[in-house]
Amino acid sequence: MKFFSGYHLKRAPNRIETKVFAIPIDHETTLNDLKIAQTACIINFYKENEAIKKVEAMGLRCGENVVILQKLGRGIVVKTNNSRIVLTTDVAENVRVK
Amino acid sequence: MTKSIKIALAGNPNVGKTTLLNHAAKTHLKIGNWSGVTVEKKEGFLTYKGYDLHFVDLPGIYTLEPISEDEWIACRFLKEEKPDIIVNIIETSSAERDLLLTTELLEFGKPMVIALNMSDEARKHGIEVDHEHATKLLDIPVIKTNGKKGEGVSDLLDAIIDSVKSQRLPKVPQYNREVEQALLSITKTSQQEKLDKHTLLERLADNTLGNGEKSDLESYFNKDISGIIKNERYAFAHGFYSDTFRKKKFTAKDLTDKIDKIVLHPVLGIFIFLSVMFLLFKISFDFSTPFMNWTEGFINDFLSPLSQSLLSNVGAGNWLSQFFSQAIIGGVGFVITFLPLVAMIFFLLSLLEMSGYMPRIAFIMDRFMHKLGLHGKGMIPLLLGFGCNVPAVMATRTLDNKRDKLLVMTMIPFMSCPARLVVFSFFAFLFFDHPAFIIFGLYLLGIVVGLLTAFVLRKTAYKGQLSHFVMELPPYRTPRMRTVLQITWAQVKSFLHRAGTVIFAASIVVWLLLNIPTNRQNPSESAAAYIGKMITPVLKPIGIKDWRISTSLIPAFLAREIVLSSMGTIYSADEPPQHKDFHFIPALEHQVIGLGEATKSSVLSLFTPDVETFQTDEGSHSLRTVIRSSFTTASALSFMIFLLLYNSCMATVAVMAREGGKKFALLFLAYSFFIAWITAFIVYHIGGLF
Repeated sequence: MKFFSGYHLKRAPNRIETKVFAIPIDHETTLNDLKIAQTACIINFYKENEAIKKVEAMGLRCGENVVILQKLGRGIVVKTNNSRIVLTTDVAENVRVK
Repeated sequence: MTKSIKIALAGNPNVGKTTLLNHAAKTHLKIGNWSGVTVEKKEGFLTYKGYDLHFVDLPGIYTLEPISEDEWIACRFLKEEKPDIIVNIIETSSAERDLLLTTELLEFGKPMVIALNMSDEARKHGIEVDHEHATKLLDIPVIKTNGKKGEGVSDLLDAIIDSVKSQRLPKVPQYNREVEQALLSITKTSQQEKLDKHTLLERLADNTLGNGEKSDLESYFNKDISGIIKNERYAFAHGFYSDTFRKKKFTAKDLTDKIDKIVLHPVLGIFIFLSVMFLLFKISFDFSTPFMNWTEGFINDFLSPLSQSLLSNVGAGNWLSQFFSQAIIGGVGFVITFLPLVAMIFFLLSLLEMSGYMPRIAFIMDRFMHKLGLHGKGMIPLLLGFGCNVPAVMATRTLDNKRDKLLVMTMIPFMSCPARLVVFSFFAFLFFDHPAFIIFGLYLLGIVVGLLTAFVLRKTAYKGQLSHFVMELPPYRTPRMRTVLQITWAQVKSFLHRAGTVIFAASIVVWLLLNIPTNRQNPSESAAAYIGKMITPVLKPIGIKDWRISTSLIPAFLAREIVLSSMGTIYSADEPPQHKDFHFIPALEHQVIGLGEATKSSVLSLFTPDVETFQTDEGSHSLRTVIRSSFTTASALSFMIFLLLYNSCMATVAVMAREGGKKFALLFLAYSFFIAWITAFIVYHIGGLF
């Protein structure tokens, strides 16, 4: 079984507390495979290209839950926390979810 | 003596930076471009408690890692222009996302203030902030603000001044021990001035400082250096968020999600988009057209004769009097005529932008646009092009990528504007049995040429894959009218400054050409006629054989509809000029009544179902008679096609030069002339066969 190690290290300015955790990956699923209204958790990214860096900065980070709001053409709208992000299928295929 | 403070406003997109800037700077808002690029730059100026505050609104970005043009600009500004203080605006309800940028900004070790904006929205989502604890952790002021109502703005201004006065520096984020040791080690090898943590991390990543610390870290963490730095920043942001933000477990019914179910629907979404676009057209053009006509009349029938009358009273010569009234007032007047339209379009665009609908259009239309190699966002400027090419070119600023901007810009001038429609109506009704089909065909031809241009450019000059499409859909918000008006005003000022100066100079040149030599008896002896006769051989193959038609194209470079009035002037040159007496009071009364009628027509036009701007008259009867004798059906069609495709509009060229560079605008001008000539040539010769 494969494991993913997340970066959810809790390190506030006045103290350091580390929580490294592992999530078992059963099968390979990407954001592209999800249907409208389906929820999943981001486990990692296949590539570390500029688009992925951008979606990470926009809030699509490992460990975050996402829900698919709409799919239209090459565009997918996902919601995470209070952000709604549009990404194209070429970016979404690099976002691995469970 | 007042002291000056340069303030960098940094934050993610759609966090309310501009709204806060509007509250702070009120009407002292200036819109320009960042040097060398077409990314919009907003600045605000305010004198507060004896300090001159200069706000620079950095582009909305998610990270300082220079990926896109926006991030490059923000990063370069922070490093090179050295602001006195950074104000980081955070959308409270999306703080966990926003804190990545905060972490990177803290690395600069500069005086900083955090504005927790839209705290009311956050409360609705059950998010509470312990801002006192946040202040204590970072050692910088953390102020709650509400951009909509302007709450907390004075606290923010006070905090800015206090922080600069006391040079209060933030606690710079502390990362993993190994990373900190590596940074300490490379600092020792640096012979330069003291570097901030952000620069040190950059030097560590690109391996331009130190003795192998980068590879040591990579082998220690079994990860590449950018991944290590990214994880450290995310960890800090996450930790800070966990310590200071609390989220209650309840599910608020999200209105945005409900609206999006309809607005982003594959079928309903398109219907809503088309309705919104129709309303955008209808309101902007119908509402502004009466004011544009009134402005034109006010300048030509009031200001111009008034200036002539005043100048003749002080004994100025006829030539000087005409120069002042026609070139100066006429030139500036031409720009002012556009103002109601530009203001209305920017007002409506700001409304759409601030309501949160604009990015939804990009998503809805992307499925069609990407087939042309363009992003969905390119649709809006293209549609605006049918109204007026000038604000349409300016609207390409909403596109993120320079390639996309230039591609859309090359398509816009082929979208036929109402100025061309005036000429088309005149010629189509005069020469064709089914004028509506001809006009429709011309519109279609413009679209096809625009698409072909984009297609060819995508395969040649603007090669490269269509960049990915990643953007945020902000929640729907009720736009604040004051802010929308302030932004519109800033855009209007920017338009006057940019296009006005070029057109003003050009109008003087054109007037001089039409009026020199001063002892000319009629327009056929003017320099313009001389040029007209020179260019006639070039236009002869497309059916324009009369020098008077070629000459009429010269002033038409100011505005295409001038073609008709120029033809009228040149053809009726033999008639003695009619001098009308100017009486100030009746003329003023006429203008006041005209303004009242314009306002009435503007308001009433909003209640009619169709777009009235496109219902034009056919021109004068006498002109029709003389034109009919100068053209054949084939040459009339060829002339219309030439006018449709050739970018013969000084205002559009000037704005294209401003947005895409002088070289780009001139090259496009040459290209549009070439494509217009070729198409007109083919049509003229095929048309001649029938």
